[in-house]
Amino acid sequence: MREESQPSVLTWLLVILATCLILFVFQKILWLVVPGLLALVLYYCLQPLVQMLVRAGVRHGTAAKLVAGALFAATAITLVLLLPLVTARASTWKAVTIRYVQGGLDFARKTEEALAEKFPALQKSSIFGNSELNVNSISGQFAEKYLGAILIQFVHWLPSLLLMPYLTYFLLNDGIRFKKYLIRSVPNAFFEKTLLLFDRIDNSLQSFFVGMLKLTLLDTICLGLGLAVIGVSSPLLLGLIAAVLAWVPYVGSAAGCLLVVTVAATDFPNQPALTYSCIVLFLSARLLDDFVFMPLTVGRGLHIHPVLSVLMLFLGAAVAGPTGLVLVLPVVGVVAVAADTFGQIVTDHCLRARFHEARQLRRKHPAVR
Amino acid sequence: MKSPFAFLSNLSEEPRIQALKGLTLFRELSARELREVDELLHERTYQKDEVIFDEGDVGLGLFIIVSGRVKILSSHTSLQELAPEFHRGDYFGEMALFDKAQRTARAVAAEPTQIVALFRTEFFSLLERDRGVAAKILFELARTVCARSRQLITGEKHNPSL
Repeated sequence: MREESQPSVLTWLLVILATCLILFVFQKILWLVVPGLLALVLYYCLQPLVQMLVRAGVRHGTAAKLVAGALFAATAITLVLLLPLVTARASTWKAVTIRYVQGGLDFARKTEEALAEKFPALQKSSIFGNSELNVNSISGQFAEKYLGAILIQFVHWLPSLLLMPYLTYFLLNDGIRFKKYLIRSVPNAFFEKTLLLFDRIDNSLQSFFVGMLKLTLLDTICLGLGLAVIGVSSPLLLGLIAAVLAWVPYVGSAAGCLLVVTVAATDFPNQPALTYSCIVLFLSARLLDDFVFMPLTVGRGLHIHPVLSVLMLFLGAAVAGPTGLVLVLPVVGVVAVAADTFGQIVTDHCLRARFHEARQLRRKHPAVR
Repeated sequence: MKSPFAFLSNLSEEPRIQALKGLTLFRELSARELREVDELLHERTYQKDEVIFDEGDVGLGLFIIVSGRVKILSSHTSLQELAPEFHRGDYFGEMALFDKAQRTARAVAAEPTQIVALFRTEFFSLLERDRGVAAKILFELARTVCARSRQLITGEKHNPSL
């Protein structure tokens, strides 16, 4: 019997190094990575539908076309319906943004004043004392300076985002064949281990992406319900935005909390207790997320030690900035699985001997492939 | 419209399905069910004397012979006597579909052999999403296990009928 060994320290160092390298490359080809990842997420979500149609008697290719076609028709219809709504409201965006930013600053100033009253030592250090500054002129300057750049970025990203539907269709229609095609090129000796590797990577990615979507849904419902009970405007939308922002570990959660607090402070300028209850709600949701939802959804997918996760988040951020923060956990999960399997192959003398023997046999009988 | 990735498939679908229908393990499956199973199968070609798996390997799936012949060599005498060789349409390594135990024998291609492999985790995914198809395959596997058990008990050299 051949024992399967645990990954060594050297293997983990290689995993960390490979992850950093991959993140660095990903940052350089972000225009391809983003549509690719979105396509992968859509593939994992839509694959059960394709399988359902296949079970109902539809051929695989037709099922993939039907599902991909339905998705893109739904997207197109949603865009067509949303576009006039967004355009109509675009004129009020600036005013709304200014209102909320001012509301948030006012809340911060009031909190600072309340704290200064209780702790006189804080009176000298006024952080938000200048919050009366002209938010209107700042936002005007911002629009003047950055709006053009943002629009250019959007136009720059549009072609690569158009790749997403095509990649999704490719994965749905030819994903299985592509996997078989790759496996066919693997020598017989390593075939079973490679199948295991593919299966583990597939499972890790599926668990991660589908888990993230489930987590987003649960977060949206919890935050939406809580905000609705408190009485904040557009609770479901706010919950959804905060849940999506939470995809970026730590930083995203803080941004989500800031957004919710800003809206609550603007909606109830004279009732700081309600804004504080929003903060409590957000913290409760985070705790629920970390200790209940996350282990139930994403946590089971990537078997990474929490200490390593935190270390990798710092490394990811250092190597590739926000991109690294978002991508580091799935990347390290996949690299760890690949390294573990490669380690098993490299250290298995029997497999290597079998491979060399088969190569010699093929030299003897080159006609048979 | 022809898929731009059609090169990924080296055989047209229908002859493949017909070939699968001829295999004992899949004889109860309809064309629709065979198409579903076909997505899970991996083709391999082995040279004469090439090892397919070794005794002591952790088994990950079963192998079905599409063409050729496979010799079985085992340190367990009873097993060696029970099934010394497999031919076209036979399958072996089926125990790996049920547990992660080591292989009890060495399988070697006795001549150039073409095989399709069914991997355990992929079979489990089939079991989750289409129990009907999985049940038919499991029933066929159970028949084989019964036949081999009777063979062991009665000591007959050929496959007795059930």
